[in-house]
Amino acid sequence: MPVRTWLDERIPINAIEAAIEHKSVPRHRYSAFYFLGGMTLFFFLVQVVTGGLLLLYYRPSASEAYESVSFIMTRVPFGWLVRSIHAWSANLMIGAAFAHLFSVIYTHGYRRPRELTWLSGLLVFFITFAFGFSGYLLPWNELAFFATRVGTNMPGVLPGIGDHLVYFMRGGKDVTGATLTRFFGVHVAILPAITTVLLATHLLLVQYHGMSVPPSEETRVKRTGNPTPAMPFVPHFVLRDLFGWTLALALLAGMSAFLPWELGRKADLFAPAPAGIKPEWYFLWMFQALKYAPATLVGLSGELLVMVPVSLGALALLLLPFIDPDTPQSRRVIKVLATLALIFMAAMTALALVARPS
Amino acid sequence: MRTCRARITLLWLVAAAAAAPVAAQVPAQSGTAAAAVTSPAALFRDDVHARAGLTCASCHTSGKPPYGPIGRTAIAPLCATCHSNAEYMRKVNPQLRVDEYEQYLTSTHGKRMSAGETRVATCTDCHGAHGMRVVSDTRSPAAPQNVDKTCARCHSDHALMSAFGRDDNPPEDWNASVHAAAFRRGDMSAPTCTTCHRPHAGVAPGLASVTLVCAQCHVREAELFSKSPKKPIFDLLGQGGCMTCHSNHRIQKPSDAFIALEQPALCATCHNDQMRGADVIKSMRAGLQNLDGGIERASAVLDRAERAGMLVDDGRLVLHDAREEQILTRLNVHAFADKPFADTAAKGVADAARAEAIGAQALAELRYRRQGLAVATLLIIGFLATLWVKIRRLPKT
Repeated sequence: MPVRTWLDERIPINAIEAAIEHKSVPRHRYSAFYFLGGMTLFFFLVQVVTGGLLLLYYRPSASEAYESVSFIMTRVPFGWLVRSIHAWSANLMIGAAFAHLFSVIYTHGYRRPRELTWLSGLLVFFITFAFGFSGYLLPWNELAFFATRVGTNMPGVLPGIGDHLVYFMRGGKDVTGATLTRFFGVHVAILPAITTVLLATHLLLVQYHGMSVPPSEETRVKRTGNPTPAMPFVPHFVLRDLFGWTLALALLAGMSAFLPWELGRKADLFAPAPAGIKPEWYFLWMFQALKYAPATLVGLSGELLVMVPVSLGALALLLLPFIDPDTPQSRRVIKVLATLALIFMAAMTALALVARPS
Repeated sequence: MRTCRARITLLWLVAAAAAAPVAAQVPAQSGTAAAAVTSPAALFRDDVHARAGLTCASCHTSGKPPYGPIGRTAIAPLCATCHSNAEYMRKVNPQLRVDEYEQYLTSTHGKRMSAGETRVATCTDCHGAHGMRVVSDTRSPAAPQNVDKTCARCHSDHALMSAFGRDDNPPEDWNASVHAAAFRRGDMSAPTCTTCHRPHAGVAPGLASVTLVCAQCHVREAELFSKSPKKPIFDLLGQGGCMTCHSNHRIQKPSDAFIALEQPALCATCHNDQMRGADVIKSMRAGLQNLDGGIERASAVLDRAERAGMLVDDGRLVLHDAREEQILTRLNVHAFADKPFADTAAKGVADAARAEAIGAQALAELRYRRQGLAVATLLIIGFLATLWVKIRRLPKT
């Protein structure tokens, strides 16, 4: 019995093949945005592969973490490349995820019937930040240690549960080796497990509903009666995706060879915080906003004044498909709000980058 | 009450004016002490003695307020009534020494004062008269942070020092020294006047004992020097150990350039190419230069590798060892012989070479990575070009 027939009896290969053959991707002026999701997925896959390789040598304890990363970078063949690609890919993944999120907002791709696609995607987006935050501490270097201390301190301002939350995140009152072990577990087991489920849901839903067409294109179709042109998913879209992925791979390799990710100094729990402590770039806007926030206002602490609007913004994003009445006016308001949020984050990030260490 | 206080202040001013001729003879007072002449009662409120329960009458034992100044020759014996009384001091401050007065009597200051020379320093000149503070208080003129300025009040006074046949440059020299620089950087272990000249038994260390004074901190150097062939020669020539090369107050930061037979090197002050020991000086000079050059080269290579993003912690560690050996080698100069100088110099040179090799290896690895990247980029470009052609050839839909 031929292998194909044997397989088809057990897996609906023919059905899948037929579905893929019929799958098409709309072509319009915003079609380029469709590649952003695939690009994010590519960086995520790079993370999975390089993360798995790093796991072979990494040791998650305060006494060994830094040394093990140093060992990976200096002794393990191509260890420097794997670590640098892992670090750069993490940053590019967050950049791609940001671009993907805003492209979906601007093209209103979250609308009915894609509410669950949006929810699953947005949750993966939030988890990406958790990946970044937990992974940042793992090399156990000075910058990461103090940035984590500042970062994990923030939930402490929440009334009632704040202190418990900080204790839970740190595995104690302060950032210690217990925090490192905890972050490691979260980074390599808990978050990947949740991400796998959410990402699978997201991708399945994308396949099920197909690519969303922006309202402007829908209007054009209605006005002209001409359907939106489309290209076959295979091979047209896949080959273009592959082109983008290959470019991304070249970019990763170049960055890793010419701008290898630094290791810095080993964290010293008893040393004073060095000047210029900053979180990763994707948290910089919040870090800078905290700097500008007054110490207290109407009895509320500065941290709370920043955290509450940010949390409400995140909640509003999650509920976006349900609160947007999907009218031309509401879509315009959402575009304006998204643009304002982008300007605010970009300005705060720029200010944090140019600020001199105090 | 206010009228009474005004009267007392007026009487103080009269008394101070009467004492002016005496005050003119004594060395210039510190800010605190000068102020005490005009407002001693106010200053005394913050005096360590006031806090211990003493009053004006405790020192001004004769007469009634307003009290007159105490004669300068009587000050030290007066202080000694308490400060040399072990039984009394035990109750007030058991940690304080009780032999200061005895020491003072053995000092040049004490001897001259006992002989009736009132221009020399007594207790209040260094500690202040009223508003006196413990020496560990940085506001005290005798505190380590201020003691050089306190000594300089007299020892930089040309007229006063000339009268005693003394130079007036030691404070200025100390100020220009490596010790002063270290002290100003906040290194409280760096010596000030009273570190070498004991504060109460203030006698200049003699030529024979200066090495012992330096040895308080520079233990290993002194040990090597005492066993060196140089020691008996210096003793024979009556030269003062360490200060023959380093001077006494204007001590400069040591440099490898000290060791050479050409001016302005220190060795060249006494030695020339024809003299005995010239070969040792030459080999030391060569050893120091080799080691310094090796360390500089290794440091430059490691810096270059690090700037390029390579991790060279191993090289840094080995370079650190080379620097340690350099310190030891410089120290071993004080043996004035090939051994142990040559051993540590050779070890340092070897460590520096090892560090340089690690840096060079990192740079080679970097080149290898970039070559690898170039090959990978070519392959990727080829693949991208193929893809591009394939995409262009796809039928339009």
